[in-house]
Amino acid sequence: MFAVLKKELKSYFYTPIGYIFISLFLIAMSFVFYNFTFTQGQLHFEYVIWDSTVVLTFLIPVITMRMFSEEKKSGTDQLLITSPKSIFSIVIGKFLAATVVTIVSCLLMFIYYGILSKFGHVSIVEPLVAMLGFLLLSMAFISFGMFASALTEHQVIAAIIPIAFFLMLSFLNLQNGIFKLFSLTEMYQKFPLGIISLKEVVGYLSFIFLFVFLTIIILQRRKSIK
Amino acid sequence: MIELKNVTKKYNNFKAVDDISFKIEEGEIVGFLGPNGAGKSTTMSMITGYIEPTKGKIIVNGYDIDQKAKQAKRQIGYMPENVPLYTELTVKEFISYMADLKLVKRKDKKSEIERVLNQTGLNEVKSKLIRNLSRGYRQRVSLAGALVGNPPILILDEPTVGLDPKQVTEIRNLIKSLKEKHTILISSHILSEINQMCNKIIIINKGKIVKVDKTENIESETLSSNSDKKELLITVEEETTTLSDITKKLKPIKSVTLVNQKDKERQYSISYEGDENVKKELLKLCIDKDINVVEVKKKEISLEDAFLKIIDEDTTSNKEKGGKK
Repeated sequence: MFAVLKKELKSYFYTPIGYIFISLFLIAMSFVFYNFTFTQGQLHFEYVIWDSTVVLTFLIPVITMRMFSEEKKSGTDQLLITSPKSIFSIVIGKFLAATVVTIVSCLLMFIYYGILSKFGHVSIVEPLVAMLGFLLLSMAFISFGMFASALTEHQVIAAIIPIAFFLMLSFLNLQNGIFKLFSLTEMYQKFPLGIISLKEVVGYLSFIFLFVFLTIIILQRRKSIK
Repeated sequence: MIELKNVTKKYNNFKAVDDISFKIEEGEIVGFLGPNGAGKSTTMSMITGYIEPTKGKIIVNGYDIDQKAKQAKRQIGYMPENVPLYTELTVKEFISYMADLKLVKRKDKKSEIERVLNQTGLNEVKSKLIRNLSRGYRQRVSLAGALVGNPPILILDEPTVGLDPKQVTEIRNLIKSLKEKHTILISSHILSEINQMCNKIIIINKGKIVKVDKTENIESETLSSNSDKKELLITVEEETTTLSDITKKLKPIKSVTLVNQKDKERQYSISYEGDENVKKELLKLCIDKDINVVEVKKKEISLEDAFLKIIDEDTTSNKEKGGKK
């Protein structure tokens, strides 16, 4: 698991992908920050984080699209699958590597918090809880992006599937009734208030488990139909 | 060391590998031979655990690849077709990653990487990005990846494809140097390669095993089965009379075909039956008729011919079977 994690991190930061992800994220984030603090004059950093979750829909696929599709296309998956490592540890290793990239961007977000706290008293609890929610949401998106990447060897398709899916999830938010329960963005609402509620955390974790599990199943299945 | 029992791989209704069984003993260097699309890579992928057989059992050094995948996979160093590599890594990083994947112990890792780098002659390029390496070096890196962890079995899928002649010799020598320590299965559609390196050959065609035998046996067998039909290659300079005028007078000669033509020189292939004196008489007649003979030689039957013949026989016999149905 750690071997895969280490190598994946190298791949993210030896190629432009890691930097592209982080810089695009920071650009979007700066825009939100500017809009909130300068235009509207608010000091609620947690809402800056909340609004930044919108960009995850388009940014998470940047790091997940290549995860398995590139390996499949270039044939390097043969090296992975024929090694004594289990598919489980390969999938978890890749998942954690992508998570680390988002954690790095999360930490960079706190630069803005630092700027903000220079000019007045800004509460730290709500932003931290919002950050936790942000991370959980990112991981949920990553797990789905990874799943999409295991489905196809075309990176573009592996990017389009999650974008479409995440957009659909955002629209579920607008619906009433049962659909609302499945909306990942709806689940986010309590975090910026500084509330860690079990229901939402479990909701995110189950989503993550489901798609990590499905990725493993897909890769396992592929051995017999390939 | 490696044992396949009635292994079949089906893609929908197409049988890529059809009920094959064979055994490879310790210390053997086995050539896995067949035309493109015969099922070589599929079989190798199944032995290495990349894909699962539809039916059948594969035992690698005592471990079932299905039941005890982890142990079985530890026995194998695999160099896949088309040498897939992580091109964004350096040579050393790649080998280090392969060592991790193959569960090389942390304390042995450094010396193991050194050993493999030296063995494959990659020391001078170890800190270069794989992306910037030539095909020949990439092939070596892939082989180094297979060697790391010192697995008892090596499975090399077309290790010399796409290389220039010098690189081919280098890789071949490298593989030859591995003979003593590993049991090796090499696939190829180039016969001379197998001829040089292997002591046993498995010929596969259309997913079925056609022949399993020692290299020299396969050659001699084809020679003997061809005993009543022989061929001469004769190069002559013709002036007025042509060679075909003469050959009509010699009974054992069945056919004469023009193979090559360059200026005045013509090379014919003459097939004849039985009589060994044909060559002598033919030469005598040539001198009488003022035909200048440049070269005469017996056409040797190589492994190449043996291979083509075996594949050919297999295809025709299949057709006949199909016809009877």
